[in-house]
Amino acid sequence: MTATPSRDENAMANVLPDMSEQKPSDLCARGGIAQLLQAEVPADGICWHRFFGALQLALIGLLFLTGVLMALAYTPVPGTAYDSVDYFQFSLPFGDVVRGVHHYAWNLLLMAMGLHLLRALVVGAYKAPRQPVWISGVLFLLVLPLFIITGDLLPWDQKGYWSTQVRFSIIGSIPVVGDFLVQLFRGGPLTGIVALTRLYVLHILLLPCALVLLIGLHMYFLATRGLSGPVSGNAAQRPKAPFMPAIVNRGLAVFLLSAIVLALVAWQWPAALGDPADPTDSAFIPRPEWWVLSLNQLVAIFKGPFMVIGSAIIPGGIVFLLGALPFLDRAPERRPSKRMGVMLAAAAVIAALTALSVMGYVEHFVRPGH
Amino acid sequence: MSKWLIAGIAALSGAAIVFAATPSPEDVGVMAITARHVKTPPVGIDDPVWQRAVPVLVPVAGRLEMADVQGTVSTKVLFTDDELFFLLSWEDPTQSITKESWRFDGEKWSHLKGDEDRIALLFEIDRISQFSSKSCAVVCHSPADLPRAQWKLATRSPAEKGDLWHWKAARSAPYRHADDGWLTVAGNPSGSYRETGRRFDTGSGGDVKNETSDGLRPRYMQDPARKPSVPGFLLMEEAVAISDYSGFKSGDVIPYRLPVKPDGSRFDVKAESRHKDGRWTVMLHRKLDTGRDDDVVFDVRKRFSFAIAVFDDSGADHSKATRSLSLVFQR
Repeated sequence: MTATPSRDENAMANVLPDMSEQKPSDLCARGGIAQLLQAEVPADGICWHRFFGALQLALIGLLFLTGVLMALAYTPVPGTAYDSVDYFQFSLPFGDVVRGVHHYAWNLLLMAMGLHLLRALVVGAYKAPRQPVWISGVLFLLVLPLFIITGDLLPWDQKGYWSTQVRFSIIGSIPVVGDFLVQLFRGGPLTGIVALTRLYVLHILLLPCALVLLIGLHMYFLATRGLSGPVSGNAAQRPKAPFMPAIVNRGLAVFLLSAIVLALVAWQWPAALGDPADPTDSAFIPRPEWWVLSLNQLVAIFKGPFMVIGSAIIPGGIVFLLGALPFLDRAPERRPSKRMGVMLAAAAVIAALTALSVMGYVEHFVRPGH
Repeated sequence: MSKWLIAGIAALSGAAIVFAATPSPEDVGVMAITARHVKTPPVGIDDPVWQRAVPVLVPVAGRLEMADVQGTVSTKVLFTDDELFFLLSWEDPTQSITKESWRFDGEKWSHLKGDEDRIALLFEIDRISQFSSKSCAVVCHSPADLPRAQWKLATRSPAEKGDLWHWKAARSAPYRHADDGWLTVAGNPSGSYRETGRRFDTGSGGDVKNETSDGLRPRYMQDPARKPSVPGFLLMEEAVAISDYSGFKSGDVIPYRLPVKPDGSRFDVKAESRHKDGRWTVMLHRKLDTGRDDDVVFDVRKRFSFAIAVFDDSGADHSKATRSLSLVFQR
């Protein structure tokens, strides 16, 4: 018989004790920000393997900032959209750096998100009472790629346009809802001004709202359910550190460091802007991004009527299993060596995705002519 | 263990950034020509610095009646902090520089058969719709009621503007340049389309037809008081009007097209050329930014769509042309 630890035993005793027993509305009423600044967190919350959460927040902040700057010059109309991006990148001061930071921040964010999730999985941070923290984290997996799908079309260049066409084709293969979703995104039979407008609104308005809500939800669950303690389960004497300045300063440092590093990378290697989109040039074959190589390969393996297996069933199944993990692995044990079933399953999935990515890389980059 | 993990994560993150930073111009099926940066500019065709350039064999093919004519142009590109250099080489067994020269048969003057070899490069000054994917096909226009032979090179709208570098073996090579022009809408789009969209850059240059007003004989000859500065060619600045035709003997040849000394923006694209072992090799170079509205500004952070057309002994538009090419700069 497995025993589920109570919140008092596992979380509330060692995480944000000043806030844990109060509702958010209470926090607001009593000067929540002041309380937040006076709160204490476990000192082990400040360690390198918990770095990815802070990095993600910093990168999302950078993405918002650079996105707003780019939106000031952007025109969401096919044709002029490309010119406005070209103008922003090459004619405005630091335009190439701003767009480059936006570009690289996405790539790094995906990497940080994956590592953040992997770390939580390895240390069993999804276990009770932190199931909502885990599930809200898994939901990021569904939202963040939507930003890229909607954002890729905005420059109206060949790669963005034809990548979007490929994605619409994949989405359209999903049974029952596929055609409806494509129609919803595209607004017509062709990818034109309606699609661009819709994806633009999604990218700069609806998805950011969803992301902010999700971050708020994730943080709320984190505050109320607590940071995961040591995998040994012995959290009785966890030393504390003040939220202000320890955590706040750390976050600011991560933000500044990320901004500087990405700006230098963007300055040295500006984000590519391809040729203007030509919807009549069906000979164009876009190369998949690194993060989508495995999914792309899945779609390539399951062709024709079986396409839905690669496009929806397997990826959707993985996300579903990730979300359901706290309910599938309910034992309190968090040491990886004692959770071989979950570890092996995770390793198998990671190995499969890596193998698919390598296959995709070889197919699209090493032997593109084959 | 932690150190290895950190190193692994750093390596993965670095790989993701590198992957994201890697340009992939081949995505579009467009051939990429990479311009390599050099500190010292090449001084000629045989300068060893050209070995630092990446040679690309660019396929060229004819269209319509020339559809079966194919070939390649070996293309190398270098750039310095302020100048861009092309080294273009293509097979052409016959050096054609006759350009309908006059020949005297003892009684009358007539034009020799033969035209000239040429190579042309077209860039975008202001974006030409679909040029990056359709290449020169989108700048070949005509009213629907005219036959293909009368179609002219032009853009669809005044907002579209091309930069045309036109090296001509008989008319620009003597002054070691490529005629620098620009492309816009046809001069008379609703009419006969006889005037193309090609315009000359500001300045002087081009050539003069060497013929009398009745078109029956040459008007100019080499100034006997001056030694030809470019043997085999008659430059306008070295020509004098023929006052006495009685001194010519059978077999005398006088060029028909006399190059005019280029100047101004029309002289922006300098050239070196050589025909040897059945190949033309032409080096073209121009400042990255000439500061003129009729020239494309090469911002080395950007990629530039362009196309190449090769003309073999031709005075018409018949050429072998490339598909879309993309010029990318690599520091």
